[in-house]
Amino acid sequence: MSPRQIACALICLLAAALPARAQETPDAELRRVLDEARAACATTPAPDRLVRILCDGKIRIGVRDYYPLFATHENGTRQGFEVDVAHALSAKLGVEPDFTRVNAANRIVLVAEDRIDLTIATMGHNTQRDGQVRFIRPHYYQSETILVGPRALKVAGWADVRERTICATVGNGSNTDLVSHGARLMLFDEAGVLPEHLRSETCTLAAQDDSFFAAYFADPAFAAAYAPKFGFAQVPWGMAVARSGSDRLAHALDLISQIFHRDGVFLDLARRHKVVSAFLERQQGVWNRADCNTATGATNTACILPALDTELEATSFARPVAAFEKWVKGTLGVDLVLPMLKTAPAWSLFKTGVATSLLLIVGALSATLVFAMVLGAVQGSRSWVLHGAARALTVTLQSSPIVLTLVIASALSHALFPASAATAIGAAIVALGLTNGANAGQAIGEAMATLRAEPATRGLGEAALFSRALGRSGSQIVAFLVNAAKGTPTASFIGAPELLTALTDITSFSSGRITTYWLLLIFYILVVMAVVWFCDRLRLRLERSHAAA
Amino acid sequence: MTRLLPHLDPDFLSQFLTGMTVNFEIAAVALALGLALGLLLAWARVGGGAAGVAAASIIGLMRAAPTFVVMFFLLNAIPRNANLFGLPLAPSGMMAVAASLVPYSAAYVADAGVAAIRQLRAGSPLGALLFLPNVTRAFFVLVMSSGAGAAIGVNEAIAVLLRQAELMPTLGDRLILFAIGVAAFGIPLQTGFALIRALQRRLSRVMMRQQEETTP
Repeated sequence: MSPRQIACALICLLAAALPARAQETPDAELRRVLDEARAACATTPAPDRLVRILCDGKIRIGVRDYYPLFATHENGTRQGFEVDVAHALSAKLGVEPDFTRVNAANRIVLVAEDRIDLTIATMGHNTQRDGQVRFIRPHYYQSETILVGPRALKVAGWADVRERTICATVGNGSNTDLVSHGARLMLFDEAGVLPEHLRSETCTLAAQDDSFFAAYFADPAFAAAYAPKFGFAQVPWGMAVARSGSDRLAHALDLISQIFHRDGVFLDLARRHKVVSAFLERQQGVWNRADCNTATGATNTACILPALDTELEATSFARPVAAFEKWVKGTLGVDLVLPMLKTAPAWSLFKTGVATSLLLIVGALSATLVFAMVLGAVQGSRSWVLHGAARALTVTLQSSPIVLTLVIASALSHALFPASAATAIGAAIVALGLTNGANAGQAIGEAMATLRAEPATRGLGEAALFSRALGRSGSQIVAFLVNAAKGTPTASFIGAPELLTALTDITSFSSGRITTYWLLLIFYILVVMAVVWFCDRLRLRLERSHAAA
Repeated sequence: MTRLLPHLDPDFLSQFLTGMTVNFEIAAVALALGLALGLLLAWARVGGGAAGVAAASIIGLMRAAPTFVVMFFLLNAIPRNANLFGLPLAPSGMMAVAASLVPYSAAYVADAGVAAIRQLRAGSPLGALLFLPNVTRAFFVLVMSSGAGAAIGVNEAIAVLLRQAELMPTLGDRLILFAIGVAAFGIPLQTGFALIRALQRRLSRVMMRQQEETTP
């Protein structure tokens, strides 16, 4: 037989074998894989993890110590859905589980360093992690971010979250969804504080993984007061093994996972621990399908779920920015992180934030000046009706904290126009202009009154008197113009996408919080100083015109 | 109002009043810190020299710092575990609001303090006493500004009001609720301002009388 004929024969054999394997059941394939590994154990010790596990008779599994319903460790006893999954698959392999405590920070590291064989630790499967560990398919669970709030609060979908403040945790990938639907974020470092903030009413709504809230909803008092409003950002959870030396182990676990879905093992365990089981019910249907219940089902894209795509598109200048950060760190020893320049969504938010902030400042200054002149003229008029009305408006505006004035302006603008960023910006400009303009207008009105009492101005027309009043109240007008500029960041409270909002949103899904807020503070101080400089020039002009008059 | 009442939380009034005490507490802390820092800066500024220039620069910077931004800066830029001589540096929500108001109150106190010291040096102790109504005015401005705490979850009066407003079915009901809030803040504010004006008028009259008596 020539080498060519041998190759042809081999290809034919493979072609015949492949469909046969595809038609094979996962159970038969698992038996074959385990038998092969056990045989290898009897002959020579191998670096393959499955062989080692079967030889040692134990599998080292990383589980969490405190994740209620999923994995807890109290008084030496481990309990929870994931712990029982670990027991079930160890039994299927015919070995004993050897548990190691892991947390969110080290669950990947310990697998990569071969200190554990497998991690089952509430780990979402995303594209970034795909490069670090090998995820077992099909996934054993799927979580989603849920919005939780008081039962009486009517929030049913994205349309209801616009301009609402939602408590969330820093670094949560689903924050981008909340931001893109116009919600304001109140960020916390730890998810554990969210239920407490809901109870104390610091937060009206909180967004977090449904698996996190599951334990709280098991408490009747919590469930009576709060309800999940809706869910989004589904993330499949995966067990994971090391990327090298674990091919056979991963294949065996893939098959076990298929079998557990098909036979309802995962589903029964979830129900036993009162874990949300809708996903597992759907998966049982999938893995009972003829096209999925095969030895190669775990690689069939029609059966398995994709990893969550968490890669953010980089900006064209992300590399020089990263090089600059590295240079600053190396030269000055300062941890400068500029997330707003490195990814396209962050850069877009940042540009919009800067433009909106500048627009708000120009708008607030113009509105303050216009309202000051109008209300000043009215308050300085001889008509008691007009004077009284303007005075009442001024007193009301003075009595309302700026945050409340903004909310009132926002509520009225939403009654007149559809909710949008432009509406929020417009409402903020009017609110800031009215508040500061009313105060400056009062100063103009008082200046008019004092000028009228002076003999030197007798015989002057109203226009001339008003012009002199502007000069006399110049420093007051300038003070309220500066105040209006300083007040513009409060517009973020009603959803204007200015720089404070933009940077808060950026830090909710990226690192560099400290640098970001330093830059924010410096930006606003510089802008306000520029406004002070400009206003001082304006004041000098007013005073000169007053002196000339 | 009759339509509004069924939707009002029975605890609303007590929560709102408790919230208002938080607003006053925040203002008191901000003013106390502002007085300490502001008087120090005023003293340095009047003294002149390098210290005076430095004080003037610091006052300028503090005047330019927007309260709302400073509040978010204090909450986010200070690591949670940061401490100084064993004392934790990361502020609570309430302290973050109070501390964010310190640049304003310190700059205001410094300006008023400089004016008062100059009056004293000019031999007018009554003129210097105008410092007191000015500081009182600053206190009421701080009470109003402390409403910013609603943005970071501080349980002050505006936060209570906005939470209640979210449960109101119509815009009209919400506006009535907001009007109650404006009145609740407005009454102490306008009363305070009226007292300040009365005090200032009294001081002015006393000063005029003194001037007349000393004029030959």
